[in-house]
Amino acid sequence: MSPELSKLLNALGLIAIGAVLTMAFIDQVWFGELPCPLCILQRAGLIAAGCGLMLNVVFGPKPSHYGIAIIGAVASAAISMRQVLQHIVPGTGFYGPPVWGMHLYTWAFLFAVAIVIGSGLMLLGDRQFSQMQSASGRLKGLPLIALLLFLVLTLANIFSTVALCGTGLCPEEPVDYELFHMND
Amino acid sequence: MMSVPFVLFACAIGAAWLRHRSLSVGFWLVGVTAMLVLFRVHVTEVLSIQL
Repeated sequence: MSPELSKLLNALGLIAIGAVLTMAFIDQVWFGELPCPLCILQRAGLIAAGCGLMLNVVFGPKPSHYGIAIIGAVASAAISMRQVLQHIVPGTGFYGPPVWGMHLYTWAFLFAVAIVIGSGLMLLGDRQFSQMQSASGRLKGLPLIALLLFLVLTLANIFSTVALCGTGLCPEEPVDYELFHMND
Repeated sequence: MMSVPFVLFACAIGAAWLRHRSLSVGFWLVGVTAMLVLFRVHVTEVLSIQL
């Protein structure tokens, strides 16, 4: 696998993470499903994993970048699994309605596992690491779009989290945006 | 406080954009640490998964 192909695949992975985060925002804004603290941390975990792919896109593929993606995805999977286990016993309830038969935290777990497997498969391509990548080349096309999308969604998550939780910790089951009710 | 990891990850992206790889990895590392601390703070109850 050439470094160029690896960069392109990493950009596609970054767009996939962007698509998941966008869907989470659609669920939040359009359907009014406010995210719980663990849901917010799962989003952060996906962004942490995406940082590894982003480094591959910007600086060229390196094994350490895949390590960053795997560590981020494992952290995200651990948070999702905690929430799955919290509701796994019948009668213990759930958080949010299911989407295509599974709750969002289950989807988040599966997506995090997919990132780990994908990074493992990408690490099999030794040839992508054999050529030195120029760090000064300007990004263009799909990698640039992927990077901009990732940046915008990360910034949107900052705004969303501050709006939802204010400056402190988030309520376990948020019912409204804290920021807009600070003076009430 | 919950937005801290996102802020740090945004800084990591910004540093990468400006071609500072080590700084970017540093922001990422602090971001992951902050995320795990917040996870620990929010998860206080013991899991009960006995069937």
